[in-house]
Amino acid sequence: MSTLTDLRIAAVGDIHLGEDVRGQYRQRLAGIEDRADVFMLAGDLTRHGTLEEGRLVADELRGLPIPVVAVLGNHDYHSDLQYEIAAELRDAGVVVLDDEGVVIQCGDRKLGVVGGKGFGGGFAGKCASEFGEREIKNFVSHTRYIAEAWKVALKEIVADERVVLSHYSPIKETLEGEPHEIYPFLGSYLLAEAVDTAGADLILHGHAHKGSEKGMTPGGIRVRNVAMPVLGKAYAVYCLTCDPGCA
Amino acid sequence: MEAPQYVAARVQQALAEDGRTHELGIRVDIRGDQLFLRGQVSGAQQRLRLGEVAHETAPDLHVHNEIKVVEAHEPGEDEHLD
Ligand SMILES: [Fe+2]
Ligand SMILES: [Fe+2]
Repeated sequence: MSTLTDLRIAAVGDIHLGEDVRGQYRQRLAGIEDRADVFMLAGDLTRHGTLEEGRLVADELRGLPIPVVAVLGNHDYHSDLQYEIAAELRDAGVVVLDDEGVVIQCGDRKLGVVGGKGFGGGFAGKCASEFGEREIKNFVSHTRYIAEAWKVALKEIVADERVVLSHYSPIKETLEGEPHEIYPFLGSYLLAEAVDTAGADLILHGHAHKGSEKGMTPGGIRVRNVAMPVLGKAYAVYCLTCDPGCA
Repeated sequence: MEAPQYVAARVQQALAEDGRTHELGIRVDIRGDQLFLRGQVSGAQQRLRLGEVAHETAPDLHVHNEIKVVEAHEPGEDEHLD
């Protein structure tokens, strides 16, 4: 049952919009303000990361009646235009997180959102480490840098609830359905470790189109894979019930 | 004759790297002279382009395009996390 103190988060990832589907996704967002207080997008908004696609996504999201927070995904980086795409989205009123946090006022409650694209590397016991060739070290240190930035942002943010928004997965459970051989390219346990250390109420990610929706970090934080092919719908809605004493 | 595994791998790389598609996570299987594409994409044109790129990469094979187009259905039930 929905209560007044529920904070309702609509979320989706991997909408992968292109010119041939212009306008279609926006239709599915009709009435979102009645279902949710905030809309979050977990990256891979485009197919090839071109500026044209970035503008198309911005058009689809422009002027929604609730706050929109997004991170980019690997597809949005493909043409090396990630900053330009983020600028188009910001112009359309979307908050784009790049390893930082934002506080969204939802009624009388403050929702803290921390996130960014994230990156891969694999999961505890079966992961790459900062050893050997420069290329491998760069790969792993990129994820470490991101995890550290999220940890700091989560610790610093002042909010009633904290949600982490990522493209890559922090855990293996929500990858179930994907081939095991590609897990290291789908996420990293370093992201979960950072969030478990700093604390959060929910982690949202995408990227694993064939994965599963629900999982949990080793520290017990709920994780949801909101990739649209996984959800099979325009977005999911998660209700965070207010902690006693915060209202 | 080239082993079908290498042909399938080359087709999969083409689907990921070709500027028309850039689609990761499409499964490519070859049985004899039949090539099967499976996976999910966000639009009908993308599905067609994937079939084209697969055909161009392996012109001697008969392409069966079994890729599904993801429908963005109406959002259903909320989930309460408490
Ligand atoms: Fe994706
Ligand atoms: Fe992705």
